[in-house]
Amino acid sequence: MEHQSHILHAFDRDLESIQANIMKMGGLVEAAIAQAATALETQDADLAQSVRAGDKAIDALEQALNEEAARILALRQPIAGDLRTVLTVFRLSGSLERMGDYAKNIAKRTGVLMAMPPIEGSAKSLRRMARQVELMLKDALDAYIQRDADLAADVRARDVEVDQMYTALFREYLTFMMEDPRNITACMHLHFIAKNIERMGDHVTTIAEQVIYLVEGAYPDDDREKGDRTTQGTGNAG
Amino acid sequence: MNAMQQVEGAVTHHAPKISAKGVDVFYGDTHALKAVDVEIADKMVTAFIGPSGCGKSTFLRCLNRMNDTIDSARVTGRIVLDGEDIYAPRVDPVQLRAKVGMVFQKPNPFPKSIYDNVAYGPRIHGLARDKPELDAIVEKSLRRAALWGEVRDRLGAPGTGLSGGQQQRLCIARAIATGPEVLLMDEPCSALDPIATAQVEQLIDELSSRFCVVIVTHSMAQASRVSQKTAFFHLGELVEFDDTDRIFTNPGDHRTESYITGRIG
Repeated sequence: MEHQSHILHAFDRDLESIQANIMKMGGLVEAAIAQAATALETQDADLAQSVRAGDKAIDALEQALNEEAARILALRQPIAGDLRTVLTVFRLSGSLERMGDYAKNIAKRTGVLMAMPPIEGSAKSLRRMARQVELMLKDALDAYIQRDADLAADVRARDVEVDQMYTALFREYLTFMMEDPRNITACMHLHFIAKNIERMGDHVTTIAEQVIYLVEGAYPDDDREKGDRTTQGTGNAG
Repeated sequence: MNAMQQVEGAVTHHAPKISAKGVDVFYGDTHALKAVDVEIADKMVTAFIGPSGCGKSTFLRCLNRMNDTIDSARVTGRIVLDGEDIYAPRVDPVQLRAKVGMVFQKPNPFPKSIYDNVAYGPRIHGLARDKPELDAIVEKSLRRAALWGEVRDRLGAPGTGLSGGQQQRLCIARAIATGPEVLLMDEPCSALDPIATAQVEQLIDELSSRFCVVIVTHSMAQASRVSQKTAFFHLGELVEFDDTDRIFTNPGDHRTESYITGRIG
């Protein structure tokens, strides 16, 4: 529908403005994920600090977007596709804001981890997992702006890989901790980082589902494969 | 479907009050309405929306044969009310209009008293045997039109002296005084202020428990507020007919979406 303009052009400008801000917010979150993972891998305290500081801008955008979307609801009374566009802004900004918080939390834990002996190979796996989520977010935002439900469905299907990576890391950290209790503190932090990235994947999935709703007017059926197996007996391993 | 579901379906299913099949209307050479099929349920509000000249008012006027009064108008197809073809030769249009009442865009009370405005229809159709019976009909109609409290002390005053919103409710009282089963409303609030509009909408909601209400409106917001079913007309075609909440959240036809979101006029 979006190729056809409203008779009242100001309405189009309002809708374009909130969507542009969503893309801007998405760009900041993508960067925050990438930088948080890089800071962890390269032990870069300055970069970690800049991720922590950068979360303020993401929070401010969320607030601005919610105010703008509320204003459009009140003044333009959007319906049908326009209504879904505005409702989607609320959901997307909420998910992006949470993802920003997770990136900030990773940066915070990076500072703590730098004071400890490193756990071998851990940063690389987390970097890979973060990269996966970052790419999913990029595609989800592309699907959003291009109204591409197929791409959104593809993003949604890819979350299973993030879950599998998380399950593998969970087992790995458990092993490290059992091998040497001196690893426990670092592994606990690493585990929270992995969990943060796994949660980010869930938020990207929410964004993808919201894009499907935006395009098709209905949410997808909940038949998605889940890859998180950490609750299925691994806790008793060994 | 098992027997139980069939029974439940029969109980909950709203049998159509009005059923139109292949209705075409011509004004001279102009093809104003093209092959309209629709089933209008009883005891709910059906809204007709669409841009000016789309045929929605033309179709509304077919439902009580108001188009008969226009010489150049020609109606073909079948419109059935309670199983009876309303265009059958033996149907008297005047009797039909007592059963299918109409309220117009501009309040048009007769230049008579409030009482006589409401009593007019029952008198010409001989619905009351004596004065007390007529009084009862007038009171009941004014009560149903949510006007009784405001006019009970001045029934002899001219109807034209009321406010716009009161006049429109007077016209609704007049329309329901003949005991109709269907109420047609052609943009009944377009000449009213927001408060009077809200009162008429509240009234429409109350009336829908008793009547089959069909409303033509230019206000999409009004259609979404008062109706349970919405029909979208465009260029003489019935483009889409569905539950109102579906039409306004996720319409099936891109023309409907374009119209309701303000992209085509």
